[in-house]
Amino acid sequence: MFVQQLINGITVGGIYALIALGYTMVYGILKIVNFAHGDVFMIGGFMGLILAQTTNLPIWIAYPLAMLITALIGVLIERICYRPIRLHGADALAILISALGVSIFLENFAQLVWGTETHAYVQKIQRTAYNIAGITLSNIQIGVIVLCIILMIVLYLVVNKTKMGMAMRATSQSITSAQLMGINTEKVIALTFGVGSALACVAGILVGTYYDAVYPLIGYSYGLKAFAAAILGGIGSVPGAMLGGFLLGIVETLGAGYISTGYRDAFAFGILILVLLFRPSGLLGKKHVDKV
Amino acid sequence: MKKRISRRFIVSGLTAVMAVGLLTGCGSSGKSDTIEIGLATPLTGASAQDGQAIENGVELAVKQANDAGGIDGKQIEVVVEDDKGDASEAATVANMLVQNDNIVGVVGHFNSSCTLAGATIYNDAGIVQISPGSSAEAVSEAGDYTFRTITTDAVQGRYLAEWCVNDLGYHNIAVLYENDDYGLGLADVIQRETEALGATVVAREAYEVNQTDFSTVLTKVAASDADVMIIGGLYNETALIAKQMGDNGLEGMQIMGVDAIYSDALIELGGDAVNGIKLTAYFSDASDSEVTQSFIKAYTDEYGEAPGTYAAYAYDAANIILDAVANVGTDRAAIRDYIADLKDFDGVTGITSFDENGDVIKEPLRMEIINGAFETVDM
Amino acid sequence: MMQKIKKIKKPLAVIGILFLLLFPVIITSSYYLHVMILAGIYVVLSLSLNLITGYTGQLCLGHAAFFGIGAYAGALLMVNVHMNFFFALICSFIISGIFGLLLGIPALRLRGDYLAIVTLGFGEIVHLVFVNWTELTNGPMGIRSIPGPSLFGIELDGNQEFYYLILIITALVLFLLNRLVNSGFGMAMQTIKADEIAAESIGIYPVKYKLIAFILSSGLAGLAGCFYASYISYISPTTFVYNTSVTILAMVVLGGLGSLTGSVIGGVVLTLLPEVLRSISDYRMIFFGALMIIMMIFKPEGFWGVSKRVKNIYKIKAGGAQNERDYESR
Repeated sequence: MFVQQLINGITVGGIYALIALGYTMVYGILKIVNFAHGDVFMIGGFMGLILAQTTNLPIWIAYPLAMLITALIGVLIERICYRPIRLHGADALAILISALGVSIFLENFAQLVWGTETHAYVQKIQRTAYNIAGITLSNIQIGVIVLCIILMIVLYLVVNKTKMGMAMRATSQSITSAQLMGINTEKVIALTFGVGSALACVAGILVGTYYDAVYPLIGYSYGLKAFAAAILGGIGSVPGAMLGGFLLGIVETLGAGYISTGYRDAFAFGILILVLLFRPSGLLGKKHVDKV
Repeated sequence: MKKRISRRFIVSGLTAVMAVGLLTGCGSSGKSDTIEIGLATPLTGASAQDGQAIENGVELAVKQANDAGGIDGKQIEVVVEDDKGDASEAATVANMLVQNDNIVGVVGHFNSSCTLAGATIYNDAGIVQISPGSSAEAVSEAGDYTFRTITTDAVQGRYLAEWCVNDLGYHNIAVLYENDDYGLGLADVIQRETEALGATVVAREAYEVNQTDFSTVLTKVAASDADVMIIGGLYNETALIAKQMGDNGLEGMQIMGVDAIYSDALIELGGDAVNGIKLTAYFSDASDSEVTQSFIKAYTDEYGEAPGTYAAYAYDAANIILDAVANVGTDRAAIRDYIADLKDFDGVTGITSFDENGDVIKEPLRMEIINGAFETVDM
Repeated sequence: MMQKIKKIKKPLAVIGILFLLLFPVIITSSYYLHVMILAGIYVVLSLSLNLITGYTGQLCLGHAAFFGIGAYAGALLMVNVHMNFFFALICSFIISGIFGLLLGIPALRLRGDYLAIVTLGFGEIVHLVFVNWTELTNGPMGIRSIPGPSLFGIELDGNQEFYYLILIITALVLFLLNRLVNSGFGMAMQTIKADEIAAESIGIYPVKYKLIAFILSSGLAGLAGCFYASYISYISPTTFVYNTSVTILAMVVLGGLGSLTGSVIGGVVLTLLPEVLRSISDYRMIFFGALMIIMMIFKPEGFWGVSKRVKNIYKIKAGGAQNERDYESR
């Protein structure tokens, strides 16, 4: 049972990690928590479902298209709801409240448009379960884990090896200095929101495909856990979000598996609090230095 | 200076808007020519899907009464309020409904916690409340004005346990339940009743409403010796559990449930995976009752989908209030007395009579999903 | 203009107070009274959270947990031990305060968003304890038949009595907090918020002030919880969730961080607004979300926010507390 639960934990952890990347990238650059990100994940899931179901496009066209649309929505949210407040020079809390507003808006918009019910997902991939030495593993589960890891490696390479990534890192250190170096920081910020939202869309499609469900309030618990994962790993750090996601998934699965399913979420948040008390900036986060 | 004015402007503007909104939004008190039925149900939040079905059921009952000429020549209106499935919202909504003098009775609430939070207010105000979905045992003692068209968990739990242990011969039982008042109450009853019949509960696992990942609980069930899985929860999660069983080494295990999973959504969402699920229910489209069949036809014509359990309970609840008004008029206390004495009301969820606690006594049906449809069965 | 506003200010305040005092007499509808009582509870909650978030600058996402601890403590004491409401009120203040202390000691080592997530985690865990510790809390079924207050054998459990009770509580809390934030203690807290290191360098020890703010804040939330339990007479875990924490935070920020008037306005507006919007039923929450965004775009400092508080600090430095009344009219 242990290995089986471990695999369950890794699968769900990979999904947390994908969503956590969106939180961590935005935080890294703007130092704000984008509370609407969980709902962007939900919108992404619906986009994938609608495009694959109503247009009958093959999934290798439909899903990238859904990613693109979700990315655009993410950019639009930043543009309309965060940028004016940011340029106003207001407290970060004002953006947080705006993000909460976006979250309430998106959840209720989705309920109005798609109804409150849970929708079955399009299953374009034949599901096969393998039984190896008493451990059950399906091809979709393997696909989820592999895809999560590939995407995270690609993102890591983009951030660390490309010119765009360099611009991102520069912007995250200081927006003003980055502007002085000739970086179009607004473009970098838009790109960050775009990439984060596209990854959330992938997570939405993966949840849809693996668990076969999507509904308007799905973003709430995934968003909360992913946010916790981002902090656990050290917010602002891309490898940290991956580590945090997997760790959180494994801890909650094993905690639920061996101690109590009722307290499932308590294990995730308990470990989070413990880690933060001993490493206040998360597992891979940079030490915060106070400057006078 | 400019800033000050704009702030003042915003504050006073908002105050004005609110004052107007509050006064117009819920002004109407004083008798008029319409009879109103209150409906308090979750239209947003986690239970919104059931709340919507309940609204549909009530609206249909009222529409049919109006089409038949109303009551004493008066038209009937439904005052719908959203309680969000949250106890404190429920109290707000209840206060709002009781202060409207035209309201003769309230259908609501869905969640037991909301029904209990509202019950104090309805009972103080002396207005009948009929819940279409709260089966928790605590609702029995909620007050003289509180009734329900759904049976308590104990009735169905006992029936299901007998079917499962005595007739089907399962002795190692896994109970999966949603971690709220409904699921926990049902899980307790099922554990008590199955163990009284000599079976053992080998796994008892909670999940959250709206959870999507059931791999952890299913892995735990697979590691126990369970030969049947009883679900204390609703159709969405049941469908997901059925679909995820294969991935977690539980291929082919029997699932059993109660009326809460009777919904077309279970079959739509679950597809082939839900075939073979056995459940108890009061409302069924396989029923040969004439009332039930005409309800199903009218509902399908109106909303383009077949009614589920909660739509049916709500339809009955609304009809009981309408029946009372037609017989004793709009006096709230008379309505209560009429309903308390109501015997053998022929509704779509069976023949309804209330006991001294306002609980309903009915005999459940045995059903199974066969080839994507609910069928009544003997075993 | 300045003079004019100054002149009408006092009569306005008198009218306002009279209105609040006579409200239950003028308007007998139980619904309006209920909404006003809820608004009172939320005003106490947002005032208390403002102490942490507005004055000491610590983002807290678990305020509903203290609200809930107070509600459960009060309810259990009143139901099981038959404690009088007013003693239960004090006990729930103390019990919530103790939990505030327990969380505060380790958590205040953290800053900003890390503290936020710890309080969020704390809130989730407390909620799960309410749900799963069935022996104590009766689990998801909640606690029923919580008695109303009584004084010298007189039952005070009508809506009007509750209304006046919460009015008194709110006024007391407002008065005390007003004294507190305008004292040296309050100045110290705001200095910490502005610059922790600078504060330390002039001899203000941040941990002490933050901790006291934390204890007081959680205690007041607990008090509100006890009142809530007695008023609704039924509590269940569904009320004390993350969403409630977020609503309280929204009240503080929308009203204006670090402004008591702002918290009062925020609490009242965010309680009344969803009620007002009931008339547009399906679009209610969409509209509510959109309003929050628009509000933040056009008035990011809240109804009664930052710009005012900054002025306030200078005023007090320059001329002492009596000038404080003047800045309102400027």
